[in-house]
Amino acid sequence: MAHLRESAEKALKMLRTLPRVQIGNIRPNPNSKKNTKRGRAQHSGDKHGAGNKGSGQRQNYMRIGYETGNNPFYLRFPYEPYYKGHHLRRQYPPLSLLQLQVLLDTNRIDPKQPIDVTTLCNTGLLNLQPASMEYGFQLTDDGIDRFKAKICIEVQHAKESVIAAIEKNGGVIRTAYYDPRSLQAMVNPQKWFEKGEPIPRRLLPPQDAVEYYASAKNRGYLADPEEISKERLVLAQKYGYELPRIEDDPDYEMLISQKDARQIFYGLEPGWVIGLRDKVIVKSKGFPEEPSNTKAKKDGTS
Amino acid sequence: MLNLLNKTKCILIPNLRKTASRATHDVVKESSSEVAVSKTTTAPLILPQNWPQYEPMNRAVSRQVWIENIDDVPERKVGIIELHPDVFATQPRVDVIQENIEWQRKYRYVSFAHTKTRAEVRGGGRKPWPQKGMGRARHGSIRSPLFRGGGVAHGPRSPTTHFYMLPFYKRVMGLTATLSVKLAQDDLHVIDTVDVPTQDPQFIKELIKERNWGPSVLIVDRDDIFPENISYATDALSYVNLMPSYGLNTYSMLKHDTLVLTVNAVKHIEERLLYQLHRTDAIKKQGKFKLDQV
Repeated sequence: MAHLRESAEKALKMLRTLPRVQIGNIRPNPNSKKNTKRGRAQHSGDKHGAGNKGSGQRQNYMRIGYETGNNPFYLRFPYEPYYKGHHLRRQYPPLSLLQLQVLLDTNRIDPKQPIDVTTLCNTGLLNLQPASMEYGFQLTDDGIDRFKAKICIEVQHAKESVIAAIEKNGGVIRTAYYDPRSLQAMVNPQKWFEKGEPIPRRLLPPQDAVEYYASAKNRGYLADPEEISKERLVLAQKYGYELPRIEDDPDYEMLISQKDARQIFYGLEPGWVIGLRDKVIVKSKGFPEEPSNTKAKKDGTS
Repeated sequence: MLNLLNKTKCILIPNLRKTASRATHDVVKESSSEVAVSKTTTAPLILPQNWPQYEPMNRAVSRQVWIENIDDVPERKVGIIELHPDVFATQPRVDVIQENIEWQRKYRYVSFAHTKTRAEVRGGGRKPWPQKGMGRARHGSIRSPLFRGGGVAHGPRSPTTHFYMLPFYKRVMGLTATLSVKLAQDDLHVIDTVDVPTQDPQFIKELIKERNWGPSVLIVDRDDIFPENISYATDALSYVNLMPSYGLNTYSMLKHDTLVLTVNAVKHIEERLLYQLHRTDAIKKQGKFKLDQV
């Protein structure tokens, strides 16, 4: 930013000796405007830059990859397995630890609250498109040495080193699966609530993802909690750090807060309808009435 | 360089304030003597701004401007105010200012130029002469565009709107750039209030002449209801206009030679623009403009 500041100072200094900027003496940047009219004379007349006949004039360009009769490159090799089923594969857009640290440092994320997809999307800097096969965020290890925050975070995919980095600081990480419809509700809860639809029930992971989310090594949400605490110790020994005792932590309640496997929002259960205008929660009959009605709502939408 | 930038406006650098260059000394002396002779006994208005959320990256580049009086024709320095560099000393993007001017002209412009097509011109239903055998060119209607008195092909049709929206942050940048340009060219003045003693336009005329403002002056205050005196005094002067700070726009600022802001207006403009520059849901403002959006 410093160079911008410097150039601004220079420009402002220059303006002092220039005539007053007025409506009559300003003009757009050169070549920024495209003339919609076709010239008629020497420089842009004749064919108007479209060439003589053919695709240039008629805009009937050949299809992409067509090599005017040659065996096209994309058909020349009979088998490309590495893209097989690419349109069906789950994508996990990356979120680096450095980015996360910046979001925390700039108060875009409150470290005193558990972090999930909704929190990340509410920062305004990250976005998910569940409709285009994006199934959540993966936490990558860029900036791992600078990560200093103690957080409780839930992502959809994380490497072992990332898990170690978070647990070293006394934080908790879980990997959890969300189906696209649930994710759609999480990306923009306000929009979902305004539709008046009940909160959907989170589906269980598909067959090929069960193994990942049931593994304690990956801190999967379907794993046995005791296995996870064992794996925490194993990882601490492997990476050589002392595991902070989260039981003694003042934020213990926050750190252990976890969603149910069928739950989408903290404090809100599937089947409930949220009325934003009247600030009410309409619960379905199957669930018992809770006294802390308003509190639960606050947790869910914050 | 900063001293060059500021003849009457010096930069506040706390450590160097006492050891500033001679130019600054002169200004200080001048102002202090003037304050001494002035009849009023009120303390000078020293307003170092304390932007709680939006602290500038470098405090030293924030601008300082004299607060002037408007209750008397001769100039008296009432105090000093600090201005945020992100609003009052940004990159003077003249091209963005131009885009704003063009947008402000166009978005409300509806062209009523109108021509009739061959179908709309009266008559011309029958074939003027047979297709063959006359030795004349073939024609089907006397109102074809080829005919005198015929319809116009591809002529202007009324009403044609020229509405479009400039991207939101270009509009914000237009405001900050214009304010910066005005300040850099000594065309921005800050006054304490808009209370003038008389309803006489002659007072305003003399004031403008004495202060070397103008000829055209835009006076901006926080409120949209101005005191009676200044309203009457400026009413007859077409080149002196009053505007609330929420109505501040690039076109009006550039249309007037001198921009005069009250202290309240400065604070309001600064607060609003800094909010827009730093808001976290900025991505929502950058979407495509829809007519029914809030």
